[in-house]
Amino acid sequence: MIRYSFATILLLLASFVVQQFIPAFTSFHHSRILLVQLTFLCAAVTVGQPTMLLLAFIGGFFWDAHCALGPHGGDAEVYTQQVESLRFGYSIILFGAMGFLMQGIQPLFKQGKWQFSAFLSGIAILLYLTAEYAIITFVRGDFTLSTSTVMQMIFTALLTMLFSPLVFWLLFRIAKACDHSIDPDASRRRRPIY
Amino acid sequence: MKPLNLIALLLFLGGTVWTFTQSERAVREVQHVYFSAMAPFLKSGSKMETQSRAFFDEIQHSTKLEVELGVVRNELGRLRIIESRFREMETENERLRHALNYKKTTHFDVVPAQIIRRQPTTWWQTVDIDAGEERGIGTQLAVLSSDGLVGKIDRIYQKQNRASVLLLTDEKCQVSARVEGSPEVGILSGQRGQFEGNPLLRLRFLSADASLHQGQRVFTTGRGGIFQPNILLGTIDSVEKGALDSEALVRPSVNFADLSTVFVVLSADP
Repeated sequence: MIRYSFATILLLLASFVVQQFIPAFTSFHHSRILLVQLTFLCAAVTVGQPTMLLLAFIGGFFWDAHCALGPHGGDAEVYTQQVESLRFGYSIILFGAMGFLMQGIQPLFKQGKWQFSAFLSGIAILLYLTAEYAIITFVRGDFTLSTSTVMQMIFTALLTMLFSPLVFWLLFRIAKACDHSIDPDASRRRRPIY
Repeated sequence: MKPLNLIALLLFLGGTVWTFTQSERAVREVQHVYFSAMAPFLKSGSKMETQSRAFFDEIQHSTKLEVELGVVRNELGRLRIIESRFREMETENERLRHALNYKKTTHFDVVPAQIIRRQPTTWWQTVDIDAGEERGIGTQLAVLSSDGLVGKIDRIYQKQNRASVLLLTDEKCQVSARVEGSPEVGILSGQRGQFEGNPLLRLRFLSADASLHQGQRVFTTGRGGIFQPNILLGTIDSVEKGALDSEALVRPSVNFADLSTVFVVLSADP
């Protein structure tokens, strides 16, 4: 269990590296594959709450380090209404919330029905992006939601969800290597009875 | 709730609060460590992205012509900027000689750079360029193309010879702007959630009775301490009049969808 938890942390860190190689699909509504979030969501359903929270903290912390913009700069007398930046660390909360959502269907996953988790990961990504956009709107004011933004969120969620079976396959392989079962109910059913 | 889960939740919340209370400087330090660790992968990722883009470009052009065209484009862009600056200087010189008998020396030093990565984050309109502190680039410097203002330097990747540019189309990139042929001045910025094609910019805080028409050019005022004066920003597309003030939508002069070479202004008299 400890070895598996440690391996999921390494997998999450590795996803940050792979994320650098995934460009935005500018001709496809500027959508992208959010591999870091996907790895976290898939891992969240396979671990206990303490490990999930640790993963959420690591994921959110480094994601904000990856994305945070610099200060506005310039003369405050000229730029009197500067656009607010999001507080460093907001992603930790979002990661945590999405992690709890994924853990809600952990019983189904333990029965071996990983397909539900894969589907939910797409919904979680969509919720994550919606929440992120809502926070930006809340902090900066002036609500606007263009069709291109909605399309970007939907296509990002769909594209990311397509890769969830791959991440689950990796997690099953890692669990096997760590001699740990992430779907104990299904494993019990599969075991032959003599 | 199990005691272990409760402890984990409390630790999580404590860690989150600690993160929220970090100063801007501490955040910069964290980012520095993060991007230093990611440096080799960032380079490889950018290289892959550049190569894939070049591959698709080569379908239309031969490699040799592409290289020659790139060199000529760089040179043309540089000369256009220098030429426009010289024209400004000439006009300014003439005006000041006649009116005030005042002579001003202007320095305008630019560093050319290639865009190596587009929009690395979900919501912010940024690009990465292949020039950094090794070439004298620092944060909050104006970035131009031969068509006008592109944005400003937002972040320097230390010891990696690359920098991140916050594009003019981002909501956070605010520019003090004036409309040619009118007394109107305002703050120009990008609009949230506009990614497709060439998005329009919003010019705010114009007077309520602003008399503007489509096609009028918009330039930087030079106020605010970041952007030099008289850099072309775009042209007026439409005007929305309000009770207290007016706003105008501005079509940027730069084609952000087809941006490859930019110039970072190292030093200039504002």
